[in-house]
Amino acid sequence: MANTPRFTIVEGSPQQLAYKWVGIALFSLFLLLIAFAYNDTGSLTLLGNDYTISTPRLTKAIAFIICILGLQVVAGFTGQLSLGQGFFFGTGAYLSAWLVADHNWSWFATLLVVVPACFVLGMIVGIPALRIKGLYLALVTLGLAAIFPSLVQLEGLKPYTNGAGGKQVSSDLKAPDWLPLDGIAAIFQKIPLLGQYFGDGDLSSKESDRVWIFFLMVVLAVICFKLVSNLVNSRPGRALRAIRDNETSAAVTGMNLSLYKTLSFGLASALGGVGGIVYVAELGIASPGDFTQLISIYFIVGLVVGGVGTLSGAVIGGLVITFVPDWASSTQELPVVPERWLSGPTGPLIMGVLLIVLTFVLPGGVVAGTRKLKAKIVRIVPRTPDGDIAEIVDVDELLGDDAENELAAPSV
Amino acid sequence: MDLFLNRVFDGLSNGATYALIALALVMIFKATTLINFAQGEFAMIGAFIVLVLATERGVPMWIAVILAMIIAGLGAAGIERTLIRPFDPADHLPLVIITLGLFLAINAIAGIVWRFDPRRFPELFPSGNALTIGSATLTWYTVGVVCTTLITASLLTLLLNKTKIGLAFRAVSSNLESSELVGVRVGPTLQFGWAIAAAVGALGAAVFVANPVLQLEPTIMIRVLIFAVSAAALGGLDSLWGAIIGGVAIGMVQSIVVPYTPIPNELALATAVIVLLLVLIFKPAGLLGTAAVERV
Amino acid sequence: MSEDTTQNPTPAQAVLHVADLKGGYGQIQVLHGLDFYVNDGEIVVILGANGAGKTTTLRAISGMIATSGTVDLRGESIQGSKAPDIVRKGVAHVPQGRGTLNELSVEDNLRVGAFIRKDNEVDADMERWFDVYPVLRERRNQRAGSLSGGEQQMLAVSRALMSRPDLLLLDEPSLGLAPLIVKDLFDRFAEINKETGMTMLVVEQNAQLALAIADRGYVIESGEIAFDGPAAELLSDDKIRKSYLGV
Repeated sequence: MANTPRFTIVEGSPQQLAYKWVGIALFSLFLLLIAFAYNDTGSLTLLGNDYTISTPRLTKAIAFIICILGLQVVAGFTGQLSLGQGFFFGTGAYLSAWLVADHNWSWFATLLVVVPACFVLGMIVGIPALRIKGLYLALVTLGLAAIFPSLVQLEGLKPYTNGAGGKQVSSDLKAPDWLPLDGIAAIFQKIPLLGQYFGDGDLSSKESDRVWIFFLMVVLAVICFKLVSNLVNSRPGRALRAIRDNETSAAVTGMNLSLYKTLSFGLASALGGVGGIVYVAELGIASPGDFTQLISIYFIVGLVVGGVGTLSGAVIGGLVITFVPDWASSTQELPVVPERWLSGPTGPLIMGVLLIVLTFVLPGGVVAGTRKLKAKIVRIVPRTPDGDIAEIVDVDELLGDDAENELAAPSV
Repeated sequence: MDLFLNRVFDGLSNGATYALIALALVMIFKATTLINFAQGEFAMIGAFIVLVLATERGVPMWIAVILAMIIAGLGAAGIERTLIRPFDPADHLPLVIITLGLFLAINAIAGIVWRFDPRRFPELFPSGNALTIGSATLTWYTVGVVCTTLITASLLTLLLNKTKIGLAFRAVSSNLESSELVGVRVGPTLQFGWAIAAAVGALGAAVFVANPVLQLEPTIMIRVLIFAVSAAALGGLDSLWGAIIGGVAIGMVQSIVVPYTPIPNELALATAVIVLLLVLIFKPAGLLGTAAVERV
Repeated sequence: MSEDTTQNPTPAQAVLHVADLKGGYGQIQVLHGLDFYVNDGEIVVILGANGAGKTTTLRAISGMIATSGTVDLRGESIQGSKAPDIVRKGVAHVPQGRGTLNELSVEDNLRVGAFIRKDNEVDADMERWFDVYPVLRERRNQRAGSLSGGEQQMLAVSRALMSRPDLLLLDEPSLGLAPLIVKDLFDRFAEINKETGMTMLVVEQNAQLALAIADRGYVIESGEIAFDGPAAELLSDDKIRKSYLGV
């Protein structure tokens, strides 16, 4: 790196701790502000178009973020693309909805079934495809994604999935009384100038439930990220990445490469299932049309937008695939653009163009781009044994903690 | 028995169309070991061009098909030049992502231009039955589709084996560096492969939607692509005649195995995925494939 | 001694004239300024240890890597041209490992070799090389991948000659072959050179064998020419024999 950053912080020093915690605090405050602001504002009008803004959309984004995190694991550990994350996403959503609606399970208990179920399903599908080099995983998973809607509409499964109508489930996730959500809202409302964006008076019970669900899911997502980043940085995780594309060294180190690849695909599928739980907990319905191959390909868009192999890229990717299609379909009129081009499938068109354009102009995704920028301002350097500041390199994470939890960008 | 025969005929006509799309996939896979996930969408656009030419411009059907094949081929050649060639052919990840982007974008553009309501497709083959055995009927459509597929595969084989560009294409498929060292220009040769693949795909989509029981709409080729991928893998991803055999086999599984087993009809597509998984487990190189399959 | 090489006058009849050739892979520079030439009808051999830059030199000449410096073919610059264009100007390159087109038949391998030609003597040429290597005629319809290593090397040389080149580049033809087969292979190179006047630039580890058929030789060390001279001289120079020829 040729440029010198404005600030250099030594790893483990009080400054670094402060930097880290200030980062986390700012991030949490940001989430709070967003959640409360979104809760109140119904819609935003721009150039004659209404754009709905609401906390549930944010929660939906969290569901997508967790799914894309799963894809990051597949891409990072196997160097391949899974085009079937929607299959596991849907499986998680339906399983969870069925357990909650028909068996009165609590939402979080369904994790205990969904995670192992999706993990095993993923392993079963992954074993034949991951034994062989090449595009086979993409082929198999594309097929999976395509059959999911017809699978849940099978006559035999209708009692459990409710066929084409979709499986409805009401949320038991109620905001607890001890939480002073109204108080927080009141504080935000008193902020000069900006207070008006946080509504008036107390939250309705529906609104507080939404905020509550949003934060529960944020916590779930943070746990997922933490688990994955620990795994990526673990000794086997690092070894696996190092030898990913090199069978000789795999043989030398005695690692069963295809076993690890299959395990990582299982993990990715489990994350897809968790995403499904989040999705249905917020939406209250799992319907076949939400789990076509389109959503699987959207997840790939999310993966590429954030940057393949960049864990924190999943956040950006999830937000993009939630909001861009949404805004595209809300946009009914724009100057210059003919109306026909706005009323059709504008979302998929933008997504497709985004995939192509990003592959050309920003192959590392948005995160790689911002990192370069950020490295010019702050750099955290490891402390060397003799106390000197070592030369180098690392740039930290969105959540403010450790630096190297990234999967190197793979090549197939 | 008659019912069985009818199902065989159904399987033949479906299988033959899967085979055409599989042929297109195989052309590109042979040269680059890449699967063009947008192949079905290229083909769908081709079918729409046929429809527009034939119904709005009054072009005779088969002329319209040939024009559509040419247009699809030129379009694919342009896409290869602008979106595919800039990337290292050995690095699949960006290329797969590009084809997925094309899949989304082309499908959306078709939806915007032609909307999603199904349209009747003009007849490509004579209506009526060529042969009646008891209550089983072999329609002219089935005969036409099977003949079209066989003729296409034969012409492709001739093109690859008897022409200079075909020789160059096979050379590039076999060894990229050696081909450059004998003077083959790799880029234009691969471009030729993309163009041929798109033309064959357009033909495949046209004969598929010419089926009197089907109508044309922008999402019609998505399912077909899955069947074709299984067909291509079953035949061996780099074998033209393997694609034909694979296509017919998949068509037969769909129309014979499914009705005689407890597999529900809606899961016909799932059988294609299961066949794909079985191929990967027991014979990853496929029936006629020559490419060495590397294990990890 | 390296001054000697740079001061060598470039003979007017040189088929290949290389000066200050630099090149490598990505950031890694392998060649640090090579100067050498090959005269019409000569067999010139480039010797050197593993990693000295022998293969890279040939790849630089035939346009497979980015280079700087001078590469002239019969006085016309080919430096910076792409591989398929350099073939058209008359350089045929048999790559290391033979570059067999495994899935194609023996005959198709030879036809690919004549890809750049537009005349109708391709069949006649093919028969000519079948006469030199009769085993290829026997196997003309076989998949090239099914040939033995020695046969594949014969095929690779014939494929390259099918383009009717002015200059034939051979990259380690002995690699992975049994000594007897290698001996035969090199004898045949000498014959072809004698009968057709084909100019050859050979990169080889097997120095004894290569120098035996060569007119002149260069020894490369770390991407630079360390010694050069007539083949007989190199063979008899004790110092070179000891340190470079492993004798």
